[in-house]
Amino acid sequence: MKKKNLSTEFYLFLFLLVVSVFLAVFAKGFYTVNNLMSILNSFSYILISAIGMNLIMLTGNIDVSTGALISVVALALAAIGKLGVPFAGLILAGMLMGAVLSTLNGLFITGMRIPAIVATLATTQIFQGILPLTCEGSIYDLPASFTWLSFEAKLFGFIPGSLIICVIVTAFFLVFARYSRFVKKLYAIGNNREGARLCGIQVDKTVVICYAIAGLLFGITAVIVATASQRCTTTMGSGMEMTFIAAVVLGGTSPAGGSGNLSGTIIGALILAMVAPAITYLGISSNWSDAVKGAIILISVVVSGARYLKRKRVIAGAAGGEA
Amino acid sequence: MKMKKFKFTYNTALFLLWIVIFAFIGIKAPGFLKSKYLINVMLKNIVEKGMVALPMTLIIITAGIDLSVGNIMVLSCMLGAMAAGSMGGAVGVVVTLVVGVVCGVLNGLVISRVKITPMVTTLATMYLYLGLARGISEGNSLYSYPASGFMGTQNILGIPLQIYLLIILAVIFIYLLHSTAWGRKIYAMGLNPNAAEYAGIDTNKLTMQIYILAGLVCAVAGLIFLGRFTSVKYDAGTNFNLNVITIVVLGGTSINGGIGDMRGTVLATLIIATLNSGLTVLNIPIDVQTIVQGVVLMLALIAYAVVNKKNRQKRILKVEDPADGAKASV
Repeated sequence: MKKKNLSTEFYLFLFLLVVSVFLAVFAKGFYTVNNLMSILNSFSYILISAIGMNLIMLTGNIDVSTGALISVVALALAAIGKLGVPFAGLILAGMLMGAVLSTLNGLFITGMRIPAIVATLATTQIFQGILPLTCEGSIYDLPASFTWLSFEAKLFGFIPGSLIICVIVTAFFLVFARYSRFVKKLYAIGNNREGARLCGIQVDKTVVICYAIAGLLFGITAVIVATASQRCTTTMGSGMEMTFIAAVVLGGTSPAGGSGNLSGTIIGALILAMVAPAITYLGISSNWSDAVKGAIILISVVVSGARYLKRKRVIAGAAGGEA
Repeated sequence: MKMKKFKFTYNTALFLLWIVIFAFIGIKAPGFLKSKYLINVMLKNIVEKGMVALPMTLIIITAGIDLSVGNIMVLSCMLGAMAAGSMGGAVGVVVTLVVGVVCGVLNGLVISRVKITPMVTTLATMYLYLGLARGISEGNSLYSYPASGFMGTQNILGIPLQIYLLIILAVIFIYLLHSTAWGRKIYAMGLNPNAAEYAGIDTNKLTMQIYILAGLVCAVAGLIFLGRFTSVKYDAGTNFNLNVITIVVLGGTSINGGIGDMRGTVLATLIIATLNSGLTVLNIPIDVQTIVQGVVLMLALIAYAVVNKKNRQKRILKVEDPADGAKASV
């Protein structure tokens, strides 16, 4: 099991290297500071949430309400930001709101024993519906204190602040995933929920905490996304959940739970963040970026799946209770 | 026997819920009850979703899921419209159907041969089909042609053509799932794919069949969709996928597979249709409608969980089989 995961990341890393070299040769101007920094900016918010999504998917659950959740938090942040609250207040508020909303998801899933995908489908609709009631389409004319992160917070004048947050979060979770008992519990739950329960793990409590932690991370993403401009709309986050899930899946985490790790997710997020600008710099219409993303995900899961098949021919039930 | 009794009650509950919603809206807004409104607005708006929900029910009963249906629909009707522009309407319709089938074949192949989880597969193909539609159309809208316009706007005896189509398809699918050996195989596969395989069911072939069927129905829905709106853009199918899954789940089909009822799906289609158009009549803004839809889904899930609890406990006590463990871990 472990070996297979390692090789998935290894191949992904190779792929990333090949693509990088390819871009250096054929895409003129791809490796300029400006372009790299804008890639890293989108990489950072994708990765921060993908880490949260990864934790959730390790337990065999999923969250499709993330996009709507981010929209809610972003809009609430804009309302607070309009009052001139500084960045520290914004990020605390964002994390808190993200955690609260996500905990609701977790409670709904564990309390009612409803499959995560359906439960979060329901909360998606509720989040989406609440938004436009609170404001008319968008909140605009936000003060400079609100957009401080994306316009002024730059290390050495060119490294975006979001990247610094991302590095801190990623480093923390790399250590956390390696040494904490909590993450071990998540793997155990994902592999065999009943077995984990019999081993004395409080499954429901762990899953709810997992959602809460993921919610914190979604909140940080919401801060980065919201502060990117002086206008906050009600659809800021819509569709993002699929990007996060794609980054996690591309990184080799199985939605069935119990396998996969963070380093794969990091590479997955980087590849997804690179696709759109790479295509533009190669001189292909940006309209093709979604197709390329889809093809990369499909090919990568098929290739890793085919290798897995060779080893384990007998178990046909892989598609069993995994939906 | 127990299951049968339970299913009956859930469907009855759905039916009662529909009657209550229908009556409530009818009393509040008498204009709603006019047959013209009921047929031309309420039913016509739900036809595509209702159609795609039928094969989706089959897919979810086999413990699969298809997140790419809306994108298959858009991609197939777009390519069809392009073909129709250069080669005429008949070719357009054929191309639409062929594209739908090809998309279904791709989903089915990856899921059944490479054994990738349906969710991952269709997530990837969702991006792929969305991206292909965007790339091929270069982000522009494509317009309806006479053949698809016929599908979307033709009336027969005062009732739009697509409603007949929906009814015919619903009857066919109810028959397929509940009265044929093929339908039993689908349940078997959803409850325990390994056992089904050892019992002599070709689960790979079955998987291929249902995903191709889904692709084909999506293509038909695409024709109607294009005809009804006269133009289509690449992102038109974005919310479609989750809406269809909402209908299926509301209809009492378990996302874990093995449990489900096609009649429930049809009833759920009617409930969502009534809610959508009824709340519009009551002048309730579209955002509140989304909330109401979410709340209804949530209530249905809770009701389902409560009613099902006793049933499930009994089943777990009786057979401690790995399928239950696998299901519990979802």
